[in-house]
Amino acid sequence: MGVDPLLRVENLVTAFETDTGRIRAVDGVSFEIEPGETVCLVGESGSGKTVTSESITRLIATPPGEITAGTIWFDGRELTELAEAELRALRGDRIAHVFQNPQETLNPVYPVGRQIAETLRIHDSGGSRPINDQVIDLLDRVGIPEPTDRVDDYPHQLSGGMKQRVVIAMALAGQPDLLIADEPTTALDVTIQAQILRLLEELQEELGMAILFVTHDLGVVAEIADRVIVLYAGKVMERAAVHELFEKPAHPYTRALLACLPGRGGETAPIGGEIPPPADPPEGCRFHPRCPHAIGACRDGDQPPLGDVESGGTDHRASCVFYQSGYETDRLETPMGERTEPTGPEGER
Amino acid sequence: MAAERDPMTFDGVDWDRWEGGRGVGSVQLLEALAGLVLLGALCFDYVLVAPGEPTIAVGGAGGPGAEAAVVWDVSSVEWLFAGVLLLGLFHIAVPLAENRRMTAYYWRQFRKNGLAVVSLGYLGLLFLVGVVGPIIWVAPNETIDYASAYAPPLGLGGGLSSPEHALGTDAQGRHIWHLIVYGIRVSFEVGLIATALAISIGTVVGAVAAYVGGYVDEILMRYVDLQQTFPVFILLLLIIYLYGASLLLIILLYGVFGWEGIARLVRSEALQRSEQAYTRAAEAAGASRRWIVRRHIIPNVSSTVITAATLSIPVFILGEATLSFLGFGDPSTFSWGRTISAGRADLDSAWWISTIPGVFLFLTVLAFNFVGDALRDATDPRSES
Amino acid sequence: MRWYIIRRLAWALVATWLAVSLTFGLLLAAPNPGADAAAAQCAAQDRDPGECRERYLERRGLDRPAHVQYLDYMSDLAAGDLGYAQSQDKAVTAAIADAWVYSAQYFVPSIFISALLGYSIGLYSALNRYSVTDYLGSFVAYFGISIPNFWFAIVLILVVGVYLRDASLFGVALEPLSLRTYYESDYPVFSVRNAKQLVLPVIVLATASVASQMRYSRAQALEYANSAFVKTARAKGASLWRVLIVHVLRVALVPLSTILIVDILAVLFAGSFVIEQIFQIPGLGRLQLTAITQRDTDLVAAITLIPVVLAIVGNLIQDLAYVVLDPRIDYGDR
Repeated sequence: MGVDPLLRVENLVTAFETDTGRIRAVDGVSFEIEPGETVCLVGESGSGKTVTSESITRLIATPPGEITAGTIWFDGRELTELAEAELRALRGDRIAHVFQNPQETLNPVYPVGRQIAETLRIHDSGGSRPINDQVIDLLDRVGIPEPTDRVDDYPHQLSGGMKQRVVIAMALAGQPDLLIADEPTTALDVTIQAQILRLLEELQEELGMAILFVTHDLGVVAEIADRVIVLYAGKVMERAAVHELFEKPAHPYTRALLACLPGRGGETAPIGGEIPPPADPPEGCRFHPRCPHAIGACRDGDQPPLGDVESGGTDHRASCVFYQSGYETDRLETPMGERTEPTGPEGER
Repeated sequence: MAAERDPMTFDGVDWDRWEGGRGVGSVQLLEALAGLVLLGALCFDYVLVAPGEPTIAVGGAGGPGAEAAVVWDVSSVEWLFAGVLLLGLFHIAVPLAENRRMTAYYWRQFRKNGLAVVSLGYLGLLFLVGVVGPIIWVAPNETIDYASAYAPPLGLGGGLSSPEHALGTDAQGRHIWHLIVYGIRVSFEVGLIATALAISIGTVVGAVAAYVGGYVDEILMRYVDLQQTFPVFILLLLIIYLYGASLLLIILLYGVFGWEGIARLVRSEALQRSEQAYTRAAEAAGASRRWIVRRHIIPNVSSTVITAATLSIPVFILGEATLSFLGFGDPSTFSWGRTISAGRADLDSAWWISTIPGVFLFLTVLAFNFVGDALRDATDPRSES
Repeated sequence: MRWYIIRRLAWALVATWLAVSLTFGLLLAAPNPGADAAAAQCAAQDRDPGECRERYLERRGLDRPAHVQYLDYMSDLAAGDLGYAQSQDKAVTAAIADAWVYSAQYFVPSIFISALLGYSIGLYSALNRYSVTDYLGSFVAYFGISIPNFWFAIVLILVVGVYLRDASLFGVALEPLSLRTYYESDYPVFSVRNAKQLVLPVIVLATASVASQMRYSRAQALEYANSAFVKTARAKGASLWRVLIVHVLRVALVPLSTILIVDILAVLFAGSFVIEQIFQIPGLGRLQLTAITQRDTDLVAAITLIPVVLAIVGNLIQDLAYVVLDPRIDYGDR
């Protein structure tokens, strides 16, 4: 890997002050994104994936939230140190966002053309062509039919899929190097989902931009990811290239997630238990209360550091005691689909 | 966090307990009894006691011929006040006491707002002083003594100040403290009675409009629009001009012209709820509209109504004070507004006459606003946090 | 859209007619204090009070049947004749014309200040929770809606007029800075001296309305402050001001427009009586109070109608604004 990664997040900690105390929604997350690649951030709701994605450009509402530790390197600059004005210059121009629900993402009182143009106006990156032409171009690029007519439409006049295309157009307007998409297809119909995903792939190829795709849907991950980061309770559980993750999932949590998917042969098995309360996470490995393989060592100390998984030379690591030196992984060999009962907080084995 | 919220909110209370069978609960029996007693006393006052004669004149120490210790001619406003307090007791205090968990939950939320708790304490104290005060301290007119007129409050020097009238005296020698105490009662009467009236009218109108819908809804809402646009104060001046100033009139006017906000709120809440499953279920079971409105919709909009009501109280109190200040108040009462107005002429020499009642008025209104806002935060799950 | 405007205009006219008729009805049904006063006067002079009362009513045509009076009243109104103001010894319209200028002088600046200050602080507070401005704003808001304006005025007069006049700060006398507390109606309208004497009335009047506008706008803005489209705007790199004005304010204007004008007007109207009374400004408020004490029924009725009509017009403007501001509304519905 000779090229410097486009984005490098190191030990990011983002915390929120609430009535019940300080909650660390993101508790030491690290990953990188190379230029032009698609990295998926996967996890259940409450895993910290959205907060991670929004911390990058510091979109978190600053009271009550705050980035309390860690560094974020983007193109040679440390984002957590930047002043708000400098960060604003990056937002929309080099790093763009697409959010989940297009109905709410678009401002209901302005026509869509104007909202796309806003990105151009803010960054004055129009160049010499009239802004309206550029907007129409963008609409065309994201696959909206008859863009010249659609420019003056209000969001409520468009269908869900069209709205999301508009949102993507807004994000692309600044020709970003990194697109952060937070569950962009979750609120859409399944058929539209496929179209949007395809659109994103095309655009990525065309523009050479990297995508950080946040989702809980492993099916989507399988389709578009190059690499995957699995989050649970604010920490990284596993990271791998997409094929390896699906073929040789290392962490018990990842395995359990995959076991939840229908159509993989065998029964689907829900993960017993609940995600831990954010204000009071479990000691040791955060997943241990629900892990069918938990042993004594899982209950103490910190989350185990990411250990290498032997799977063929690529960067595949899991945060599990069994991947630390001194342990053997054959205890984890539970065939896919076979139910194992979680042992609860005591983890007696 | 979802795990923290207590599910026993006002809205989750099983109101069907109240319906039960056709039988009547013991609390309702008590309420009916208390109501009857009040009504009886009212009749006694109006029918048997001659006008101008005090309702109660309890004999004092000393033999026959001695002055009565407690002389009280209960006015119509005071009867109303007693009625409203009774209603408050049975429809607010009793349900709160019966649903311990819900009350504890609300209290926990409310307690987070320190200012509101202090305000509540202040208001409670004030209320006590207002109710009990007239027994301890005589009416201001009894303290008229031109020799001690314009006495400054204690601590400000001046030859006339004395512990006997610690807050000073006005132009006729009335003790400022007595004026304050009697003014408390006026403010509370206006605030509570007018609000009770506004709640009653507003809730009924709003719930009916929401549930019946159609033309009825349209007409009612048009009227609400009209009333909301109408500058009520102007109308009040006009009516008082025509009919003369009396506390009862002022209270009734505020009650009758102050309900549109509540009606709107109730209507929108009721509209949301009439779409919900339990209402449909009741319909399917054959319940009449009136039944549904009374048993399902009204109890479930209570928390919004209480909040809106608590925020109406300061508006009414300020309004009455302003009217009194301008000279449109009831001349037989000692509203704070009146006292402040009376002190205006001597502002540079005897500033305490206007200032001290003003401080009390300000603090009281402020307290109600704090409490009302805290109530809203405590009962509205959507509130900012 | 056109149909909607026509309907609203028609409604405004109906409402005005209703208001006028109701006022008329009220006056007809209620005891006429003017007549009472005339009768009392006669009784004091040992004349027959009943006769005087009748003569009073007869002179004003108040003894005619109701519907005749009504028609006359309405036609007079349409012609612009509002009757004769006994207490001012001139036509009602003339009395109002003389007085309204003085009212406008403090009223109009108060409206602008309330809207501008109230909204900007409210919006800013919503987006900068827990900042100094937010706390200050909250303080001002509670203060403004709780303080009795007449008491506030008195205290200000006391402080400015009595104490500040004699005081000096670091040896520099504050006297030249002090503001006039009682209004002098001779000053030309657009003079510095006039402005100086309007400062206190405007402060007192605007406080309550700034406070309520601040609360409303803050509450509405809070609803939108955490919404997705605001987050999107920030993600595009928008500055705080752009987010505030282009996004939050514009969207919040939709619900805010339903109270914007009328609410300010209501607060200001109620306050104007007190302001004019205390600061002795010869405006409409004071005219009304004088008319009431002098039992000048014609004048009282006419001045009552002014805020009512203004409120109806304000409501109309609000309704139209609401429809213009929200592109989602289908004009067929409302």
